[in-house]
Amino acid sequence: MQTARQWMVTHEWMVKGNRQTEWIEKRGILLWLAFYTGGLGGGLYLVSLFFNSAWGLFLGWFIVTVLKGPFHLLYLGKPARFWRLLTHPQTSWLSRGLFFVFGFAGLGLLQLLFSYFLPEQIGVILALKILAGIFALCVATYTGFVLNNVKGVPFWELPLLPLLFVACGILGGFGMTVAIAQFSSGINLEAAEMGSRIMLIINVLLIASYLVLAAAKKENTGKQSVLFQLTGGISPIFWVCVVILGIIIPAAIAIFSLSGGEAVSLVLIIGTVCEIIGGMMLRYCVLKSGMYNPIFDK
Amino acid sequence: MRWGMVINLSKCTRCHACVAACRIEHFLPLRITWPRLIAWEREGTQGVEVTTVPVRCNQCKEAPCVEVCPAKASIKRPDGIVQVDQNKCVGCRYCVIACPYQNRTFLSKDKDPGYFPGYARTGFEKKGNKLYPHQMGTTEKCNFCMERIDAGLAKGLKPGIDRDATPACVNTCQARALTFGDLEDPESEVSKLIKGENGFQLHPEYGTDPSVYYIDPGLGNAPSNTAPFSAQTGSHMPGLSTQEAKARQIFAAMKEGAK
Repeated sequence: MQTARQWMVTHEWMVKGNRQTEWIEKRGILLWLAFYTGGLGGGLYLVSLFFNSAWGLFLGWFIVTVLKGPFHLLYLGKPARFWRLLTHPQTSWLSRGLFFVFGFAGLGLLQLLFSYFLPEQIGVILALKILAGIFALCVATYTGFVLNNVKGVPFWELPLLPLLFVACGILGGFGMTVAIAQFSSGINLEAAEMGSRIMLIINVLLIASYLVLAAAKKENTGKQSVLFQLTGGISPIFWVCVVILGIIIPAAIAIFSLSGGEAVSLVLIIGTVCEIIGGMMLRYCVLKSGMYNPIFDK
Repeated sequence: MRWGMVINLSKCTRCHACVAACRIEHFLPLRITWPRLIAWEREGTQGVEVTTVPVRCNQCKEAPCVEVCPAKASIKRPDGIVQVDQNKCVGCRYCVIACPYQNRTFLSKDKDPGYFPGYARTGFEKKGNKLYPHQMGTTEKCNFCMERIDAGLAKGLKPGIDRDATPACVNTCQARALTFGDLEDPESEVSKLIKGENGFQLHPEYGTDPSVYYIDPGLGNAPSNTAPFSAQTGSHMPGLSTQEAKARQIFAAMKEGAK
């Protein structure tokens, strides 16, 4: 019987609910980084548009173009054929996503160049900012739809996922804006901190709602994914990185700042780093917990 | 025309011949199998037993893999076969993720270490690389032996009836558990089996409309979609049952001897 049991181990997948590995393990780490940097870069660009922060706009563009794009390309099995990713936007969210990334990279670059070399072209710059902003929003959102479209993984099949990802990206954007304000004038630090607080609350509500809705799904696999995140193999990552670093520490800094205390630059930057780690690990947990329904119901 | 397969769970004897036939037909790398037998333990009359169900790409009518493929590398042929064009595949693995039946595999280096890792490739492997090349960094799956079907049709043969136009796994199944044919032809054997024996698809709630059906006289169209263990005892093949019983006795004796 011992032999039979050992042999069975390799067959547990498809019989029990099993987690996806292609998009999180080994080279899948690159895809996780690509997904997160897309959200962060897009979020930062949007927040920087609001604060009219040139450094923020540049960093947002840089993160998407120089980090997100290459991470995704390096993940591909055949990177030289990357252009083929653009050939099926009618139905594929991955294809649409690449359009968004290329569109944002091009429009963002034009906006930055016009703003730097031809600042008197206010109308053109405004138009470019609006267009690039729309693309930035799409870049921050599409990864949620990419996962949302997977039928066999109940944990991802929630309409809240794209919203969660974009909110997470904007929270990171506010955090980075607070950090940029320490080195660059022209950003209303108080407003950036307030935005960060509001987004933090929204993120907490979204994460909690997401987990509750996933656990309430009729497929048992959704509940298993939530349990895996809260009490299973990745629970230390969830509780330490997402909850403590990503929520509690930034919240503590926000409460201290709100209660009249003046947080020093270093503390604010630490808060930003914590928010970024929290957002990054939230995506990790979402990808890692993606569990397929068993091929048979019983 | 829509090619489809019917798998009779009560006839499958878990011999793995379909897996082996596919490996030989397509010169599959060591750690890749297109059809698989999924297996699990359940309480049987003689204690814990293993039960199995053969699975392979379902060639879905509404294939999620075709929908999500950003490179148009996964395409649906007019005859219903979902094909991966390895010359177009970029290796993004979205199809691997999107397939709710998990029947696609990404061919990475670790899945092709050679049949004897650490040694030179065998003649069989070398020949296979030329006859049926597998591209590293792309996705693979069962294609219902479409090369056999196409070549057979060109010769005027009928898939599912003529062996040369029929998938290798169907040809090799000694228990006749696999049946192949045109799902849109009401007179085909597959259509008759599905209609007459309550054929069911895996997870019909996904709306993918698979072209692989399962039948089991014990269950029919039961919502659990699960074959009972008793269906796999080989009782329909008395000779085989005897052989299996003999094998059990021999292994039990060997086990006792080892103690």
